[in-house]
Amino acid sequence: MKTAERTEVRTGTTAAVPARPAGRVLVRVGPRVAIPVRRSSLIAAALSVLLLLGAGVATLTMGRLGIDPADLPSALMGEATGKNAFVLNRLRGPRLVVAIATGAAFGLSGALFQSVTRNPLGSPDVIGLSAGSGAGAAAAALFLPGVVPVSVGALVGAVGAMGLVYVSTGTGFRNPGRLVVAGIGVAAMSTALTQYVVYAVERDKASALTAYINGSLSARSWDDATVIWAVLLVCLPLAALLARPLGIGEMGDDLSTGLGARPDRTATAAVLLSIVLSAGAVSVAGPIAFISLTAPQIAKRVTRSGGPQLVMSALLGALLLVLADLAAQQLPLFDDLPVGLYTMAVGGAYLGYLLLKEWKRPL
Amino acid sequence: MTTLSRTTQGPAVARRGPARYLASAVLCLVLLALALLASVMFGSKATSLSDVLRVVTGGGDEYLRTVVESRYPRTALGVLAGLCLGIAGTLMQGITRNPLAEPGLLGINAGASASIVAATAFLGASGQRETIWWALVGALATGVLVHLVGTAGGGGSPVRLVLAGAVLSAILAAFIQAVALSRPKVFDTYRYWVVGSLGGRGFDALWAVLPFAAAGLLLAVVLAPGLNAMAMGDDKAASLGISPARVKGAGLLAATLLSAAATAAVGPIAFVGLAVPHLVRALVGADFRMQILFTALAGPTLLLFADVVGRVLLRPEELMVGVVTAFVGAPALLFAVRRMRGAS
Repeated sequence: MKTAERTEVRTGTTAAVPARPAGRVLVRVGPRVAIPVRRSSLIAAALSVLLLLGAGVATLTMGRLGIDPADLPSALMGEATGKNAFVLNRLRGPRLVVAIATGAAFGLSGALFQSVTRNPLGSPDVIGLSAGSGAGAAAAALFLPGVVPVSVGALVGAVGAMGLVYVSTGTGFRNPGRLVVAGIGVAAMSTALTQYVVYAVERDKASALTAYINGSLSARSWDDATVIWAVLLVCLPLAALLARPLGIGEMGDDLSTGLGARPDRTATAAVLLSIVLSAGAVSVAGPIAFISLTAPQIAKRVTRSGGPQLVMSALLGALLLVLADLAAQQLPLFDDLPVGLYTMAVGGAYLGYLLLKEWKRPL
Repeated sequence: MTTLSRTTQGPAVARRGPARYLASAVLCLVLLALALLASVMFGSKATSLSDVLRVVTGGGDEYLRTVVESRYPRTALGVLAGLCLGIAGTLMQGITRNPLAEPGLLGINAGASASIVAATAFLGASGQRETIWWALVGALATGVLVHLVGTAGGGGSPVRLVLAGAVLSAILAAFIQAVALSRPKVFDTYRYWVVGSLGGRGFDALWAVLPFAAAGLLLAVVLAPGLNAMAMGDDKAASLGISPARVKGAGLLAATLLSAAATAAVGPIAFVGLAVPHLVRALVGADFRMQILFTALAGPTLLLFADVVGRVLLRPEELMVGVVTAFVGAPALLFAVRRMRGAS
């Protein structure tokens, strides 16, 4: 993307009171599109990209099988041989590429959803998508072993669970309160089914299934990478189109209707997009916990601004998942545990920290 | 979670005549008797009513006796667990004023699971008799921890408590899965326990948790008048000489004791603690004394019927009661969603 940047000239000479919204930068794409971006957001995004690059390099180079950092540039240019080629093309390359897109998809999905529900706990995994995909995977493993791949089962389960939530609220995806309660019901049913399957099949199968249901990135292929990147690249522009109406929608339905927006349609579109993103991510990596919940929350705090932080949420989602997967690969604690367990522990701790901070203020 | 909070009780305790209470009581007792009977009658080997009556009155041949008497422990456990979960749910819904509150929200299930997993993995615990104690310890410890975190920094609203339970559950879940996935033996113990089943347990499971259940029940009964006063609002209750903070604290302790006892004995069982209080409130109104009394009848009834369904459905296999309650309770919840008023 070619961007020409132009800092807006600030009128007035005294620096004490800025005459315009401070720190806005216009990002231009071609002659027609100009997006005002806060400078602090831009810096935060650049920093996240740098950190993501660093985490990516660490993923490729660390550990016993890591590519020697000196060889990395030439290996990335396609001159890898022997062990390096294997690590880059088979072992860690696809895994890293999948992790980046999956994390971004979860983050973006969470940002869209939380913007609609105006509730930090309103993320797709809270309304039963993860549990549904787990049940789908489990059902595929129990009833159609070898016929339906587990990932397809997960996809069907995720979409099915969302369909069930949609039908049972009676108002579609528009009423956040009903959405969450229906999600609890669907999740409970899905979890019971999953637990029954894990109980009923033999141990090795149950163990593999549980690992998948926790969300794992090990042994991903370039096919997985193609799937999730395709989903992400289709959804990103659509999400960008929704950013402004969503920002207006966060001011409340009455005000946004007054401003000429159509909150209902925006909300439905955002939720559908969010589900597509999450379902895509789940089908390649399993339901990885807490990314879609925490990434938008961190994005809000980093940029210190209202409105849905779509780009930042996607970047931070990718960063979080790559870091968690780095930990999953390199920590000597346990042998290659599913990455979802790390995100669950860290996400839970972060949520706890947020709560404790909130509690210093009276509710 | 804040979107869910909605007052469950009206401002005033509804007046119900003694005739209505009596009719409700008779109905509940008859249903409970039917549930008890069904629980000893049905199983992988079907027995007739006359067979069961013969065994109960001391007759019947050896084989018949063995079959029917093997169903006694699970029936007794069903009564205990149904009662405990139902009353724990009543207390939690009353105190948090959240119609969706249920024992699992206090982190009890996650705590019991984590304790069992840790004990089997690191201390070599094995067998039902040992794990039940660990489950009890873990459930109680988590309940207390959730309470401490939820009330940290003064105040301590029920919403905080529920959120603290959710956070702690998530962290414990990561720990459980990490340990279970890296040790196959632990994984086996865990996956058999976590579905929640009345089967395969003896009377000793009942005796182990009975003191805790009894203490919780006693506390709940003592607290009932205080809870009634609090339904009118904390200020009114305070003006009646009741300390809302103390009633809330004691009520949550009772809920913790009750659900820890049930979970340790039979594993996590969803929806009984959520659904029974709603059914009972529809029947007898908001008076907590009546709610507790009728929950003690309705909870066991519901759980025993669910267990019987699980035994009959896949005969000669068996569907665990935890799976049955989820598949009955969840659709009921989904239907209830449509009737939610103005939740946003």
